[in-house]
Order: sequence, then C-alpha cells, then structure tokens
Amino acid sequence: MAEPRTTFLDPALLAKLASLQVRVRAVVEGVIDGLHRSPLRGQSIEFAEHKEYTPGDEIRHMDWKAYARRDRYYVKQYEQETNVRAWLVVDASASMGWRGAPGRLTKLEHAATMAGSLGHLLSRQQDSVGLVAAADRVMRAVPPRGGASHAATIVDTLASLAAQGATRLAAAADHVLEHAPRGGLVLVFTDLLDPDEHVVRRLGLLRRRKHEVVLFHVLDPAEIEFPYEDDALFEPVEGGAPVEARGRDVRRGYLEVFERWLEDTRRSAAAADVEYVLARSDVAIERILIPFLARRERRLA
Amino acid sequence: MNLGFVHPALAWGALAALLPLLVHLFFRRRPRPVSFPAVEFILRARRETQRRLRLRRILLFAARTALLLLVALALARPELRREGGGTVAATTGPAAVALVLDASASMTYRRGDEPLFERARADLGDAIGALGSSDAATLIVCGGPAPSAPAPSYDRAALRRALRDARPTMSYADVGACLGAAAVALSDPAVATLAKRIVVATDLAATSWRLGGPPPEVNGPKGPQRPEVRVVDAARGSELPNRAVVDLAAEPDLASGPRGYRVTATLANASAEPVNDVRIELRTSAAPTAPVAVQGFVEIPAGGTAKKTLVASFEKGGPASVSVALAPDALALDDARVLAVAVPRDAKALVVDGSPSPVKFRDEAFFLEAALQSSASPVRTTLVDVGGLAQHRFADFDVVFLLNVRELGPRAVELRSFVEQGGGLFVALGSEVDFELADKELAGLVPPLHVVKTATDTGGPARFDAVDFSHPALAIFASGDAREGLLGARTYKYALIRPERRGEGARTLASFDDGAPALVETHPGRGRVILFTSSVDRDWSDWSIRTSFLPAMQRFAAYLAGVEERRVVSSVVGATRTVELEQGQTLKALVAPDGRELAADSLPRPGPPGSPPVVVPDAPGLWEVRVESRGEVRLDPALAFAVFPDPRESDTRRVAPAELTAWLGGADHAALAQDARGERRIPLWSVLLALALAAFVAESALAAR
Repeated sequence: MAEPRTTFLDPALLAKLASLQVRVRAVVEGVIDGLHRSPLRGQSIEFAEHKEYTPGDEIRHMDWKAYARRDRYYVKQYEQETNVRAWLVVDASASMGWRGAPGRLTKLEHAATMAGSLGHLLSRQQDSVGLVAAADRVMRAVPPRGGASHAATIVDTLASLAAQGATRLAAAADHVLEHAPRGGLVLVFTDLLDPDEHVVRRLGLLRRRKHEVVLFHVLDPAEIEFPYEDDALFEPVEGGAPVEARGRDVRRGYLEVFERWLEDTRRSAAAADVEYVLARSDVAIERILIPFLARRERRLA
Repeated sequence: MNLGFVHPALAWGALAALLPLLVHLFFRRRPRPVSFPAVEFILRARRETQRRLRLRRILLFAARTALLLLVALALARPELRREGGGTVAATTGPAAVALVLDASASMTYRRGDEPLFERARADLGDAIGALGSSDAATLIVCGGPAPSAPAPSYDRAALRRALRDARPTMSYADVGACLGAAAVALSDPAVATLAKRIVVATDLAATSWRLGGPPPEVNGPKGPQRPEVRVVDAARGSELPNRAVVDLAAEPDLASGPRGYRVTATLANASAEPVNDVRIELRTSAAPTAPVAVQGFVEIPAGGTAKKTLVASFEKGGPASVSVALAPDALALDDARVLAVAVPRDAKALVVDGSPSPVKFRDEAFFLEAALQSSASPVRTTLVDVGGLAQHRFADFDVVFLLNVRELGPRAVELRSFVEQGGGLFVALGSEVDFELADKELAGLVPPLHVVKTATDTGGPARFDAVDFSHPALAIFASGDAREGLLGARTYKYALIRPERRGEGARTLASFDDGAPALVETHPGRGRVILFTSSVDRDWSDWSIRTSFLPAMQRFAAYLAGVEERRVVSSVVGATRTVELEQGQTLKALVAPDGRELAADSLPRPGPPGSPPVVVPDAPGLWEVRVESRGEVRLDPALAFAVFPDPRESDTRRVAPAELTAWLGGADHAALAQDARGERRIPLWSVLLALALAAFVAESALAAR
C-alpha cells in the first residue's frame, strides 16, 4: 500500500501550469496517491448474495454478521454495480473570474481544477459525469456520460469557460433538477456571491430529489482577510456603483459581516443537508479534496 | 489675569493649525480603483461603522489641528500674567525688590477670621514666590521705630524666615517713611544695574501715608529715579469701619465725693455711617473682667468724634486705674483704654484755733473747719485751741493748721521736727500773732514777718494777683468761674514779709495786687509749709466766704498732707517714657499688660550714669513697675502708668487710590492691586508641549486603528 502524500502542489505553482488539463492530471495523480482507494463509490451499488470467502477476496466485503450466525466467512457479492450519475455545477459568473493577487488562480480556475479533477476520478471508476456551467443562466451543459474520453470533454469544456455575467446559481440547480430526475451526486463550485440570499436553500431542493449535494465554496483569501489599507475605490466585479473607503477603516466591519455571512452559509447548508466545503484559492487542491474524499470513504464504509 | 507671549511674532505660527483643513479641502488624494467582488459586504460594514468612523475622523482631524496649534503656540512662549487690580509698566529682566510689610496696629483689624496682617504676610509670601531667580529682594517690617532695611539679597530662605518671624506692632507706622527706607535699600550699589521695585502690603489707612512729603526715590548711577511701586491692598478694597476710644481723661469731681472722678472718653467713628446707641462701659479697674461701674450710650457722627463723660467714685484713695470700653469691633486694639489715676487718700488735720470764740462765725477756725469737713473733702479735722494742744501729738496728723496762734511755746520744736520729717503746715495770721515771737518759733518754717499792712489805707481792699496756677493746689483756679472766685476775694489786712529775706527757699504762690506776698510756700526738710499772710476768718479778709475758699483749703490740706490728687501722665505705644522712681526705690522690672516682664537691666539709660531708665512701651494698657524698697520687692501701684494706643491707628479711613498713585508717580510707576500675585507670570509653553505630545499620541493611536 502506498504511503499517503504529505506534500502537495503549491497553488502558485499550479497556477503557472498552462492548461487545465495538465493541472487536472497533476491534481488527480496527487489525490490518487493520497488515497488508499477510489473514494467515489456511489450509493447505486446494490447487494446481491453471499459467497464463501476465499483468499484474494476483498476483506472489507466480509459479512461479519453472517459469520456470527453461521460461524463461517462470507463475503458480499453485488448483483450489479450501477454507475453514479454525477453533476459538476460550476459558477462561471464574473465574480468567479477574480483573484486577489497576481500569480494566484482565479476562483473559476480553482473551481474548474477541482471540478475537472473530481470528474476525472469519477470517470476512472466508470461513473457518469455531467457538467453545468452557469452565470445568470446556464452557459454550458454537458450531459452525464461515462468513459475517459468524456472526462476529457468535461475538462475541455471547463477550460473553455469564461467568467462573465451576474451570479444566479438557481438556474444551474433548475437545470440539474430538470435533467436528473433520480438521485445522483451534485458537486457545486461557487463563491455564493449571489443576489439571492437563499441560494443554499435552492440547492437543498436537489437534496429532496435524492441527490447528494456537495457545495464547494470557492473564495479568494483577499475576500476572507480583506488585506486593504489605504483609500480605495472598490468597484464591484458584477456591476454596480463603486464604493470609496479606506481599507483599514472598514476592515473590522467587513470581517465581522463576512464572518457572519460565512457562518450563516454553513448553517443554511447544514439545515439543507448540503455538505459544505470551504475551498480557498490559496490552499492546495489536494488539501481540499483529500479530506473531503476521506470523509466520504469513512461515511460509505 | 491675561495671556501674553514672550515671542509674540511666533504666535502667527498658529495658522499652521489650518493645514489639516487645507489638505482636506484642496489636496485630497484620489483613491486607487480596486476591483472587488464582495463590495456588498463593504457597504454593510460601512453602514455599521459609519458613526464610529466619522467620530474617529473628527478626532483625528482635531488631534492633528491641535498638534500643530499647540506646537506653534509653545514656540511663542505663552505665559499667564496675573495682574491683580492694577498694572504697572512691566519691567523686564532681573529686578531688586523691596517688600514692605505694614505691621502697624491697624493691621490687626480682622476681616472674617483673619487679621489684615496675616493676609498681607501671605500676599508678600506670594510676591516672594513670584520672584525670578535673578531678582534680589529685601524685607522691611514697617512699624515701631524708624524703619531700616538690609540690602537686597538672593537668600530666599532668609527672606521667608524674616517674613515668617514678622509680628504686628501695636504702634503707628509711617508707611511713607518705610517706602523711603526701601528706596534707600534699593540704592545699594550691588544692585545698581537691576530694575527697582517696591511691593508694599498695607491696609491703606490714610493716616499711615504722609502724602505731603517727598515720594520714594532710588539713587542710582543715573541719579534719582522713581521705583515701581505695587501697593497690595490687604483689605481687598473694602472699607474698614472702626469705633475707638481715642482719648481718656479723669478729673476729680468734688460733687461726687472725696474720691469721685469725672471720666471723659473721646470716641471716634472711622466710617461713613454714624453709629447710634453705642454702649460704653466704665470700670474702676484695668481688668476687663472687673464689674462695670457705670455704663452709658453714645452717638458718634460719621467720620467724627464724640465725648462721653461718666462719673465714678473710688472706694479708697491711692493709686488706681479706670478703664473705658466700647462694644468689641473688628479692631480690638482701641476698643478700650486704661487710665492710671492717683485717688486722694484721707488726710488727718490738726486745726489749732488761736482765737476761739463762742460765736461760731467769729471763731477763727469756723470757716476752715467747715471747708475741711464738707462731704467732698478728703480731710478729717481735729480742732483744738492752744490750750488743748498738749493733748495731741503732731506726729499723729498729716497736716497742722495754725490759725492766728500767738505762741506755741515748747511745742514749737516738736512742730519743726514734725515738718522736717514730712509733715504739712498751714499758717494763717491774725491779730493775735506776735510777729517777733512767731519769727522765733517758726524760724525756718515760714518767712520772717515784718508788719501788718492795712489795705484800706492805700485805697481799697487788696485782691489776689500773680497766682501761680501751676501749683497743684491752685491749678483748678486757672480759668473760668473758679478763677473769678479766687481773684474776687478781698483782703483788708495782711502781713508783709521782710523783703531782704523773702526769697530764701520760699515760693510765692500768690501775691496781692500791690505785690505783697499772699501765699508763700517753703520746704523745710521733707515737709511742706504754706503761709497765708492774712487771716482765714473774716477779720482781715473775706476770702473765707468766697466760693474759692472751700476748694482751696481742701487742696491745701491735701497738698500739705501729701495726699493731693496727682495726675499720672500716660504714654502712647511706641513713645519713649522715663521710668521715674520714688526716693529709696530701685527698679527691678516693668510688667507689661500681657504679663511680660522687662528686666531693669534690659532697659536703656540714655542719660549720664545713674539717670533713670527709659522704656518704649509696645502694648497698650496698664504697665506696672516692680521695685525694691527697704529690702522688699513689690509692685508699686503708685508708679503704674497707662499706655494708650496711638489714636492715628484708630483712624482706619483709607487713602484715595488715585491720590496715592499720583503721589507715587502716576500709573507708570505705581499700581494698586488686590493681591500680590499680580506680578506672577506662569509659563505655559511646557503645558502646551505636553498637550501637543498628548495630541501626537492620540493622533498616532487613531491613525493606527
């Protein structure tokens, strides 16, 4: 068994990699090295019968209850391992194209790298992966499909995204609801700078349709820490009136408001049974994905 | 109090305080545009912190403005100048300062709980505190003897010590003379280069300023110059109303008995309002706790005086004292006065009647006995004729009256001895007297008699003329009706004294209008003898029926007996008095009214060796004298004397400020202030710099937030 990686790609270094495809490959390799096995086993894999254990069988499929009843070792056999139908929902609004400092990935690049990596991992285990890129409307959509070539299509589509327009994540959620009537895995990558304050609740509607929803909250560290000191004319990325303020004057208030918003978002996600993952763009993607995947592995064990 | 600057031109730097405003208005930096997605959160933060930010901006602006303003003002060296009530042309640089403390009696005037003297002392203490390190100073305590002042020095400790040790005197102070002494002190060559300043703390009593004299001038290298004079009013501009007993006199009042006195007090009112129903109390003692003998009420006009006469009688003769007191007021010093009096003692007289008669009015001694036995007379008489003289000893009496006695016989020797031992003898003539025999028996006691002259032979009865009214027995006839009563007596016969021996040790107290002696006094040994060259009945003269006869005889009796009313001369505080003693006495000490004893050895004797000592009483009241006589040390009440407060100190009316300022050289040289701190300059630059530092710290703290 390979030892988990303890060093990850520096986000600054990752940003220097020219294409998303290369970045995704680098991240996927890192993630696979960091995990014992594929973590994205779907809920659609169904139990069929028991088989008496023979050496070489998966120990984790051992049915310990059967052993307790019959004093013999059985392993579980699955009748059919159905594909997971996963949707990658990426916010491609203008705010996602922003980065707080040069040399850093934009939020969209960060989100696309994460989405591409996860799409690639899903395709490797024969799951279906679809893509919805949305701003104030659905910009691009790729229906779920399996296979390595489809994963490349997903990555290519992500690479072609341009951040523009206002944020309206509800459009993407509606698209998924329309095209994925049964339960699947919905991975949402967004900065949640949506005029709709109840967008997380809208994502909760997906949960009612038996979708498992994971929200990757993509934020630039400058949005979290507000490192500005001097007088500045803050211009909204998605349109609107600029605001003149002195950075050190408003920092304390900004941080209070922002922290409150983050807390409200986490609380809303928990209330909607949506898994929340904070994805800072200055944090190595492996550090975000590996703990997330490890949690899923433990949950599905 | 006002604000000034050492460098006024630098105060224009305060305009630098406008810089923050100008920068805000005209040099505002354009903010750098920054693209930011979460502007909504900035807006919310601004809404929540807007009030706090605005306050912070205002404070920051104020701190920066204050910083610039305070630093600019500090560079101009501001100072707070307390000028009090007036201003003097300010001297710059070091100065020689003479501090004059009015220590006169009127400075004991109390306003509230504090005497003016203490306030004046505190004022000068403040003046010392305001002195610069380069100022030389001296102190003149103004009161009592001629003022003098040491040269100005830089020893502040000595100056403060001298001020602390200063005490108010009970005497008059000539503040003008003290200013002169201060000017002399400031003329010291050691301080010739310094500016000259006099600070005088006083109650401004007008009597203390002799504005008719020359003002103080300091002699310097450039000749006489007027110093700056700051007069600090210890009364703080208030009037000082005062009631006082300014004079006290006592005269025998025969109508009130042998020891009755008329005590006349002169009362003064130093205020602008008349006072009515002022109670006045008389005590026949110097002790204020003694019972009141007589009391009365008096009205005193505004700024004027009033006399009040009270009558009192002493229980016994001898040295005594009488005091008059008003209700206490703010100046307690002059609310009472004590007077020493010598109350006549009772005298015993032996009247030898040389021509008795069964008809009373023809009796030689009738009129004399009547005079001496009146109710007001201090004399108790024993009347005998010559035959009955053997039953009495002259030594048992104080005075012997020989009335028309022809012959004493062997008793003449005893009489001579009696007189020489201090006895008194009054000899009146008459038709029974044998001049040759009398010359033998009374030789040395009375002048030799010559012949009897009948005045009617030369054109009418003789009258008294050339009366020596300075004699104690005749002083009361010096004027008025008493004088007329004496000079109106007519004498028809009288004896002439041998002219060739008239002047030998004899003093003619009165003559007749022809020049013949009428009353002649001699002093054989320690005794006193008076010869009346006529008779005391109506044979030779009608004096016995004149109004002057009765008091004259009583006074002659008292005088010859040595119990006459004696006027005790009083003194004034601060005036030199010679301590006179009786024969055989040695001075041991003087006892002041407050109980202090001044040993005889400490008293100066300005005259030749053996001359009596002198004393300068420093407190009003009754001063007593402790003497040693016949091996016994005692207080001799006969030597006690009263000391009056100086009446000038009772006049607390104040000098007009304009008049005083003009005398001192006008507003350029003199100022009248309500306190001495007017000269204090309090530098403020250090305070401003401290505030600027605080503003800087505040600005830094606000800017860093």
